[in-house]
Amino acid sequence: MNEANLATPAAAANAEKVEAKIEVKLDAKQNLEVADDQVTVGQCFTDAPKMTMRNVNVFYDDKQAIHNVSIDIAQNEVIAMIGPSGCGKSTFLRSLNRMNDTVESCRVEGEICMDGEDLYAPKLDVVELRARVGMVFQKPNPFPKSIYDNVAYGPKIHGLADTRVDLDEIVENSLRRASLWDEVKERLHQSGTGLSGGQQQRLCIARAIAVSPEVILMDEPCSALDPIATAKIEELIEELSENFTIAIVTHSMQQAARVSHRTAYFHLGRLIEVNPTEQVFTMPEHELTEAYITGRFG
Amino acid sequence: MDKMKFENHYMKQFDEELEEIRTRLMEMGGKVEQQLQNAVRAVIEADSQLAEDVIKEEQLVDNMEVDIDEACILIIARRQPAASDLRLVMMVTKAVNDLERIGDEAKKIANHAVILASEDGTSKGYTEVRHLGQSVVTMLGNALDAFARFDVDAAMRTIEEDNQIDLDYKTALRELVTYMMEDPRSIGRVLNVLWVVRSLERIGDHAKNLCEQIVFVVKGKDIRHQ
Amino acid sequence: MSKPLDNLGKIRKSLNRRNRSEQLFRWYGRIAIMIGLAAVLVLFTDIVSKGNGAFRITYLQLEVNYDQELIGVDNLADPRQLAQGDWQVILKQALRNQFPDVSGRGDKRRLNALVSNGAGFDLKDRLVANPLLLGETETVWVLADDDIDTYYKSWLDGEPYAARLTDKQVEWITQLHDQGKIRLQFNSNLFTRGDSREPEQAGIRGAVMGSLLTLILTLILSFPIGVAAAIYLEEFAPKNGWTDFIEVNINNLAAVPSIIFGLLGLAIFINFFHVPRSVPIVGGLVLTLMTLPTIIITSRAAIKSVPPSIREAALGMGASKYQMVLHHVLPLALPGMLTGAIIGMAQALGESAPLLMIGMVAFIVDIPGGFSDPATVLPVQIFLWADSPERAFIEKTSAAIMVLLSFLIVMNTTAVWLRKRLERRW
Repeated sequence: MNEANLATPAAAANAEKVEAKIEVKLDAKQNLEVADDQVTVGQCFTDAPKMTMRNVNVFYDDKQAIHNVSIDIAQNEVIAMIGPSGCGKSTFLRSLNRMNDTVESCRVEGEICMDGEDLYAPKLDVVELRARVGMVFQKPNPFPKSIYDNVAYGPKIHGLADTRVDLDEIVENSLRRASLWDEVKERLHQSGTGLSGGQQQRLCIARAIAVSPEVILMDEPCSALDPIATAKIEELIEELSENFTIAIVTHSMQQAARVSHRTAYFHLGRLIEVNPTEQVFTMPEHELTEAYITGRFG
Repeated sequence: MDKMKFENHYMKQFDEELEEIRTRLMEMGGKVEQQLQNAVRAVIEADSQLAEDVIKEEQLVDNMEVDIDEACILIIARRQPAASDLRLVMMVTKAVNDLERIGDEAKKIANHAVILASEDGTSKGYTEVRHLGQSVVTMLGNALDAFARFDVDAAMRTIEEDNQIDLDYKTALRELVTYMMEDPRSIGRVLNVLWVVRSLERIGDHAKNLCEQIVFVVKGKDIRHQ
Repeated sequence: MSKPLDNLGKIRKSLNRRNRSEQLFRWYGRIAIMIGLAAVLVLFTDIVSKGNGAFRITYLQLEVNYDQELIGVDNLADPRQLAQGDWQVILKQALRNQFPDVSGRGDKRRLNALVSNGAGFDLKDRLVANPLLLGETETVWVLADDDIDTYYKSWLDGEPYAARLTDKQVEWITQLHDQGKIRLQFNSNLFTRGDSREPEQAGIRGAVMGSLLTLILTLILSFPIGVAAAIYLEEFAPKNGWTDFIEVNINNLAAVPSIIFGLLGLAIFINFFHVPRSVPIVGGLVLTLMTLPTIIITSRAAIKSVPPSIREAALGMGASKYQMVLHHVLPLALPGMLTGAIIGMAQALGESAPLLMIGMVAFIVDIPGGFSDPATVLPVQIFLWADSPERAFIEKTSAAIMVLLSFLIVMNTTAVWLRKRLERRW
């Protein structure tokens, strides 16, 4: 609205009316607003939680990115976090291994515990935490070093291997568990960046599991991959869930449906619904979840 | 959540495709309902011409089933429907199956109508056919109405109607058996009527299935075999 | 929607115009490059045509008798006798033998002026190297005076330039030439000697050594300091008003005229810390001040260009920030940092203004052997020679410029090569 056009009070009143109308229309069109007292529906909590999050709020400066999220992650569970872009799912995931610490303006409130231990306790060292909670990123990001060095890096800096033989064994095991060994065993000392996108991502997974973390966080691990590479990673996630607890953020609802045991739906920084995946994709409890997974606007 | 809307998808095309399988299912339902009515009328009024028409048009219903099934498969392949959309598509594939069976039963009734019309004899059992036929036609109509409006309450009521139809069927059976015992010469004829009554009862079951599907679509709960 | 055919016509019409302007634009670029290349070509041909003469110098052939009496030495092992001996006199004797009919003081003096006044010391060196020659006679090529050199070269080129030479001297040169007793030889003095007032004896070795010592010091000081500052600013410093202030100041420092750094060095290092003037230490310190901003800026750019995904990967693996920088960021940023350092060094090598302020402009004959010996540097040497009145210094100046340019080209090529070699793809 141009100030010059609102010379008379009548005109100003008129403009207000028009604006009010527009607002009403917008409201009618998208019921996407979430009430402040929104309570998460579904099965947020489990009997034997690996990680427990209670009333987590995340802020970037004054802007609140995560509102009051409470959820459990069970041992050996694959939990998928879905939701539209900017809903805070990645932010939430990154607060689980304190990757948000690197962002200066970021502040985390509430309680995030693993095995009952507060991850944001001042005496807790993030280096130790990140050895226990590994992370796989959206873009495959192997170090520009050899395949061997990529996998050996974690064990080296954490001092997990006493001898060269131990290290070789860790590298081989990790690559095997990431289903990459057969493809790269002949060229362990070639550059990791020379692999295909899918192989690079599996290398990153091998690198993450080389330090035997308890939880693996995956931030849209397949968004840069073709369907076959994606299928391989998904199969891998299935296998890894035998030994690890996995939290995966994904844009692909089909992927969430395929790999996860439970699915959490985030919307505008709030956790709307957590339920067993089969329920979420056939009979979601909340209409926002329903609208999102069926591809509708509210 | 009881209100079902299959629109407002980000992909407009998807809205249209879902709308299309729904209207085609309704069309098929209307066609089947008409077949059933005509078949029952052909029996009661001994109208063999009408029965022949029913038999001929059964092919139409079969074609409709195939078409709708194809459309559903296309939707699954192209849109990967989830939640209510998925339930709707699954329901439609099952519903066309039930409707096609109803069409088959109507054809069987029409076949018996032709036989019954071709030979003279008592019109014993026709009262039962008329009575049961009316109930079944009403039930099918109610089921289709419930589907058109995704009305769970109506669907539940319609399911209840099936109990009455089963009772009526048993009564009719007893009546027909009595006729046969009373007059062994009419056994052949009454047997035909018996087949008609049996078909009507089966149609009632299919209509009940339809209603159970409606509850599944709307509520996401499978109430079959309960 | 308008008719598509119409659109096609319009697009075609505009296509011509667009192609024309693109062609025009390309030609602007080509012309700009040609102007640049032409300027470089003119500069190089000018310098090379002037300077290539300096790599050859005129020698005369004389029959020299190492007459013990004339020189005034009897014991070659005695350094005092060697230093006091009159070495030039045997050359005078040899010249008189060569031209026996020269008489009169003036003519004799002019005859003696044919050879360089440093040529006697060359004979001394020969005698010391071979003591058996004492009292013997030998045919040797001796260095001619710079005027003779200038005349002889110009005469060979067909444009004799006699300037300060008399007709007699010209006649003697012609005689020597006819006898094959005058010739041009490779001028090794240029590379083996320090500065001199006599052009035929002057060399750039002292300046090259001075430059080398100064640059070594500059590199040792500025590279670690610059890289450390860049890493701290990029990776560790909190982003606040202070770091912004520091960044603005660093960028400003890079644009400060270099003479200001000279004044700063004069005030701080010489006047306050009493570092001796004219020495590579103070030169290195001043050039460090000057190259630091360049190195910090290029290093920061190199660190910034390391993809953030690598940092995330390292942190996600549980590496500490220090490990992340040391293991991943630094190796990837190193080629860029080295390139920046070499370019900074090349800048420092070509710099003369700040060094003028701290006394590295002094006339220094001795070749510096350490960081605390008085020295001058190549660009300052060029400045000094360009300022000298002797005509023979013109070609020397150009020769020194050629040497300086080749150093710069080598350094810049190394920078490019390093970048190509070390750069890793990710």
